[in-house]
Amino acid sequence: MGMSTPMATPDLGEVTDLEAAPLEPWQVNVWNDPVNLMSYVARVFRTYFGYSAERATTLMLAVHNDGHAVVATGPRETMEVHAQAMHDYGLWATVRKAPQ
Amino acid sequence: MNHAAIRLPLAVVEGIHLAGLVEEFTDVLTSVGEEPDPGLTRLTPDPYPEDADASAEFAAATHDDLLDRRAADAAVVRTGLSPFLTTAAEDLAEDEALAPRDVVIAASDIDAWLRTLTALRLVIATRLDITSDDDEHDLEDPRFGVYDWLGFRLDGLIALADAHDELPS
Repeated sequence: MGMSTPMATPDLGEVTDLEAAPLEPWQVNVWNDPVNLMSYVARVFRTYFGYSAERATTLMLAVHNDGHAVVATGPRETMEVHAQAMHDYGLWATVRKAPQ
Repeated sequence: MNHAAIRLPLAVVEGIHLAGLVEEFTDVLTSVGEEPDPGLTRLTPDPYPEDADASAEFAAATHDDLLDRRAADAAVVRTGLSPFLTTAAEDLAEDEALAPRDVVIAASDIDAWLRTLTALRLVIATRLDITSDDDEHDLEDPRFGVYDWLGFRLDGLIALADAHDELPS
């Protein structure tokens, strides 16, 4: 991107406010349950998150074998939207702060 | 995205039975306020098991909308099954009851179907107290038959939907 004019000087007073609310990553966990079909869980990860069939299957197997898996990481509000979508699909999803 | 419809073959009596289950499910969804059905708890999981305040806030903001979306999904399935409801099951001769008929599911309705069949199984599983992968099925209890039948049909629909995604649009 070419830049012919200098950018406006940012207001540093606003920028420092970010330190008061650091952007800590949050996670969506999906937990194993005895009802949902493995093919279904893999399909939901693939179609909802847009993951490749391979990645979706790996995550599904992690849920099945390890009891849960982190399926998304990011800002809390976004993770809550994802958790709601997982609940719509009948998956058992929780939200937590990513372990530091 | 492939916009072609999916055709799910069901026996006429299966379509009638499924429509009945979806009808009951819709009643469960609207039972809120009276005595909430325990099956609903599994459909609205607690996203913050270690933070009651955050959970309450999340539930207040999302619970009713989630059940509304479920009702909308269920209505899509009921509409899709309406061609099966021209004759009551008990009025069908055996060959009519077992005759195969395709349910035509528009590409945009596939998720509503998958979510609804899944939700039906979750509600039934709650009533049957299926809580672990190792739970044995009580073959004397006909509800297990319904649960397994739904699982079989859902699995078939997932395979059709996955194959549908791989076709060029």
